[in-house]
Amino acid sequence: MIKIPTRVLLVDDEVDFVEMLSLRLNEVGEKVTPAHSGRECLDILGQKVIDVVILDIRMPGMDGIETLREIKKRFPLVEVMMLTGHGTTETAVEGMKLGAFDYLMKPADFDELLLKLEIARKRKDEQEERIRKAEARLLLRKSGDI
Amino acid sequence: MKHNELLDNNHHMDTDIRLLLVDDEADFRRALVRRFGRRGLNPEQAGNGQECLAVLADHPVDVVVMDIKMPGMTGIEVLAQIKEKHLQTEVILLTGHASTQDGVDGIKSGAFDYLTKPIEFEHLLSKIQQAYEKILREEEKRKEAEFRAKMEQQMAAAERLASLGTLAVGVAHEINNPLAIIRESAGWLTLLLKRKELAESPFKKDFELALQKIEKGVERAKRITHQLLSFVRKQDSSFSHINLPELADETIGLVRKEALDKGIAVEVKAESSVDSIWSDPYQLRQVLLNLLSNAVHATGKGGSITVTIESLKGGLQLTVRDTGTGIPRENLKHIFEPFFSTKNPGEGTGLGLFVTRGILGRLGGYIEVESSLGQGATFRVWLPQRHEPRMELPEDTYADILQQIKGE
Repeated sequence: MIKIPTRVLLVDDEVDFVEMLSLRLNEVGEKVTPAHSGRECLDILGQKVIDVVILDIRMPGMDGIETLREIKKRFPLVEVMMLTGHGTTETAVEGMKLGAFDYLMKPADFDELLLKLEIARKRKDEQEERIRKAEARLLLRKSGDI
Repeated sequence: MKHNELLDNNHHMDTDIRLLLVDDEADFRRALVRRFGRRGLNPEQAGNGQECLAVLADHPVDVVVMDIKMPGMTGIEVLAQIKEKHLQTEVILLTGHASTQDGVDGIKSGAFDYLTKPIEFEHLLSKIQQAYEKILREEEKRKEAEFRAKMEQQMAAAERLASLGTLAVGVAHEINNPLAIIRESAGWLTLLLKRKELAESPFKKDFELALQKIEKGVERAKRITHQLLSFVRKQDSSFSHINLPELADETIGLVRKEALDKGIAVEVKAESSVDSIWSDPYQLRQVLLNLLSNAVHATGKGGSITVTIESLKGGLQLTVRDTGTGIPRENLKHIFEPFFSTKNPGEGTGLGLFVTRGILGRLGGYIEVESSLGQGATFRVWLPQRHEPRMELPEDTYADILQQIKGE
């Protein structure tokens, strides 16, 4: 089976972490764009097609939850995976209530991360597919009216 | 305290006072003993200082009534020895008519009081009663001081634990980030080693070995930080009605494989009438899991683990009993402390029971342990039927300790 790369946006203020995890994810065939703040994350989402955002909860300035709200408002189809080094699972659960796909606790297990990325990307693909089909039906109906 | 109804109206007499009468004149003693007898008192007798000390060495006496002037040891000399060896015994001295100075010296040496011969019997009785009441008062005071000291000690221990917990949790938060960096870096190197250019390196095996060690170290540190973090998991609205026997069954499922591998039988015995309780199922599952996995680790081949659930004191009692190695006496008081572990490094974090007790405190319950070496261990958990969550950790710990003290 050919690996379909997931377009990942990795957001964490821990520069070393972003650097290493990006190398690792790219090596196994994903396409990672690094970002180090919520602001930067939103800017990139406005310019690039992204499937999944891996989002650290605790960041200076705009924190993960705030960023998540903004993502869901402006880019509702992008899946978000919360990442927490700050332990409070509650915040991660709150994130899921706000529409995050899932969460992982730092230090995360790489295989688990890959698995979740795959599921998240598929979910996004399916959703997009449904939208396309719905749009096609809509078009058909319109043309039938004429 | 028994009251003698036959006594005169002015004062009552405790008839269970242990009394010793010391006088070299046998007739005097006999006369006094007879009069004491009529008041329900039954004093022992000694004819001299040596005999008196021999009686005291054999068993405790509350009040000694003793003549000062005796052949051999004088009353003052005997008094000095009594005050040295039998601190809780009070002494009333009897002096001759012309020697009140002796009596004063006696008081200075620690006698309760002195009476001049010929003595007035009612007066002697009331002095004995006063001396006895003094003993009771002192004993009360001593018990109170002991109680206070013990409580202060426990409070200090609880405070230390609480602040240690807070500190440890703060550290755990901060450590997860560098741990993640280490893990990703090691993971990246592991991937690089799979590339063609490096596959033939003569050091490939060494690199892989070292990287595995790093990965194992990270996993071990992560277990510690994550377990610490679960200690302070805040209460959210995850309270619900819980069927404890069901939850126990479900949790046993998580350790069943390990138990089967070791040939350990796990059994749940639940009273058919137990009600559901209102509590936090996630935290309770963690408690059950900690107790059960401890039991599985402690129990050898062919052993058994029994979980009992019954109604008790407006709540439920859950007992986890194993037939394992047991806990030595000197470890029993430490097992709930953080980082106390008898497992090999890397096998246990020393946090399981610490976390368990913390959770139970917050759920309004408590945990007790009973064990001795080679006899297995029994952990008893009590949970209230319904508990309204509170946030403050230290307060709950205090409540827990107060409960323990009261329970004794």
